[in-house]
Amino acid sequence: MLAFILRRVMQSVVVLFVMSLVVFSMINLVGDPVDMLVNPESLPEEIDRVRRDFGLDQPAYVQYWKFLTGALAGDLGNSFIFGRPALALMVERFPATLELATSALIIAITVGLPLGIYAGLRPNGWGTRIIMGGSVLGISVPTFWLGLMMIIVFSVILGWLPVSGRGETAVFLGIESSLFTLDGLKHLILPATNLALFKIAMVIRLTRAGTEEVMAQDYIKFARAKGLSSKRIVRAHLLPNILIPIITVLGIEFGTLIAFATVTESIFAWPGLGKLVIDAIVNLDRPIVVAYLLFVVALFLVLNLVVDIIYAVLDPRVRLQGEGG
Amino acid sequence: MNQLKLLSIQGLRTEFPTPDGPLAAVNGVDLEVTRGDVLGIVGESGSGKTVLGLSIMGLVDRPGRVTAGRIAFGGTEITNYSEAQWQGLRGNRIAMIFQDPTTSLNPVQRIGVQMIEAIQAHRDVSTDAARQIVREAMVRVGINSPDERLEAYPHQFSGGMRQRVVIATALLNEPDLIIADEPTTALDVTVQAQILRDMRRLCRDTGMALIWVSHDLGVVAQIAHRVAVMYAGRIVEQGATEVMLKSPSHPYTAGLMASMPANAPRGQRLVSIPGGLPQLSNLPKGCSFAPRCAHATTACDVLPELSPTSPDHAVRCVSPLQERS
Ligand SMILES: Nc1ncnc2c1ncn2[C@@H]1O[C@H](COP(=O)(O)OP(=O)(O)O)[C@@H](O)[C@H]1O
Ligand code: SF4
Ligand SMILES: [Mg+2]
Repeated sequence: MLAFILRRVMQSVVVLFVMSLVVFSMINLVGDPVDMLVNPESLPEEIDRVRRDFGLDQPAYVQYWKFLTGALAGDLGNSFIFGRPALALMVERFPATLELATSALIIAITVGLPLGIYAGLRPNGWGTRIIMGGSVLGISVPTFWLGLMMIIVFSVILGWLPVSGRGETAVFLGIESSLFTLDGLKHLILPATNLALFKIAMVIRLTRAGTEEVMAQDYIKFARAKGLSSKRIVRAHLLPNILIPIITVLGIEFGTLIAFATVTESIFAWPGLGKLVIDAIVNLDRPIVVAYLLFVVALFLVLNLVVDIIYAVLDPRVRLQGEGG
Repeated sequence: MNQLKLLSIQGLRTEFPTPDGPLAAVNGVDLEVTRGDVLGIVGESGSGKTVLGLSIMGLVDRPGRVTAGRIAFGGTEITNYSEAQWQGLRGNRIAMIFQDPTTSLNPVQRIGVQMIEAIQAHRDVSTDAARQIVREAMVRVGINSPDERLEAYPHQFSGGMRQRVVIATALLNEPDLIIADEPTTALDVTVQAQILRDMRRLCRDTGMALIWVSHDLGVVAQIAHRVAVMYAGRIVEQGATEVMLKSPSHPYTAGLMASMPANAPRGQRLVSIPGGLPQLSNLPKGCSFAPRCAHATTACDVLPELSPTSPDHAVRCVSPLQERS
């Protein structure tokens, strides 16, 4: 198991290095950040000075080398706009995004799993038709459109929930989060639900497919032949078997939740990473964009690894193979 | 005599809807099993043996269902039992063992959990007490060091060992009847012989009745007191094992016997019955064996009744074969 983890970490480092090259080359192709940094009417000397200050006068490979050596020392450069380390800015904004993505994931599971099981157990019921119809809607309607509709209905027309922002936060067990205040929760509901909608539909589909597959297995028939109640069969035999693939997929999807959060954060002015990077793209704030993209790659790599480990722990067949060899 | 009747089936019909019309997998079956009886059911694959067993357990897969006939168990009619009533009966008074031991057990639950739940579904006993019952059942079917085995997962067992676990599970609540659906077909010959011997002993010791289903007349002959031969959903011949083996009266039974390896003359190829089962959703209107029968005449265009030829022997054929001299 340890050898497996080590090997995976090495692979991840290589992937990260390659990605840094790709990201750096791409970003040098788009726009000239100096145009954004100086007044268009400035003198050419002024423009050259800014270019030198930010090191943008040097050839791309020199810039990359500087970036790489800095990155290895934990310095991803300073934001052109804020004049502060990109990493520090990201660390500051990350909790808000994490909070949003985690809430969305929890909503997706608590809503999607029971609905998916229901649909899988009654493939021809009318309830199933409604659930599956709803999930098609959830997948095909764009997130931003739904987000706007939610704001219009719940904030503007009904006035139940705030339109934007993170609301009040409180510190609990050393974690600052809007989950701990009523105002914060009110602010969280709409964006978290908006972000979750796509995943709810996905969880429903995965769960339903898994349920149908597992319920057709001989061990379910044997469990029924033992006289077990449906409740016991669902809890002891269905769930443990469908959870393995669902957790695998959701673990990897957590990365996409954080990536997709950019859209939701923009609509709801949620002060997270997504909003930071969208602003950075608009302003050609290269260090932030590079740092964000590498962060997302690293996140996917870590999630994949963690999912593989969890998978091994959940499935005794994989687990024991590992112990044997 | 009547109070000894444990299972009594009359005119049982189990249908599955298909695009070509209803398919009667069980088509008017009459059966009786007395306490302590071992009844063998033989027939080639697809003749309806499994569906018959599932019908007795109330476990026919939707949209299939029992459309006619009655099943009485221990003098009580169970045909129209509610799901809760079935649950009380299954695994408690009637247990069923399936063909493939590699798929009958849930891969992600420990053996102990899967056996203990079978007891606790029917009896209000502590887990410790249940574990003790499980240990005893394991010893009875020849599983050594049961304590260790309880903590193991199914994939750590051989096929034969898994089938012993399944048999032990069926024994846990001391049922009056066990339906064993080809329990040794997937196992190799030595293991099959051991399990047959153990099952014979268990029936003798406990006085429970057994329905042993197989496509192999040779296997059935080793364990059953009485044999019923099934063809295309109907019983075509029924009688005491010795009588049937000595003088098979139905051409299909005779064909089955001729295709048993033990009956083949040395150095000659096995004789198999030409042709295959008729399409169940579109049966010939008379004897369903007629298309394959060497003795078929126009008289066979009317479905023959299952009628006695001697006190303990009945056959469904217009011109039963003569007793061999
Ligand atoms: N769930 C089902 N849906 C549709 N048809 C089925 C189902 N189960 C069994 N059948 C049909 O019933 C017939 C008898 O099957 P089965 O009882 O499994 O035969 P056997 O056990 O004798 O091999 C077959 O023609 C099979 O196709
Ligand atoms: S009824 Fe006729 S066709 Fe059917 S088994 Fe007897 S002889 Fe053959
Ligand atoms: Mg079968």
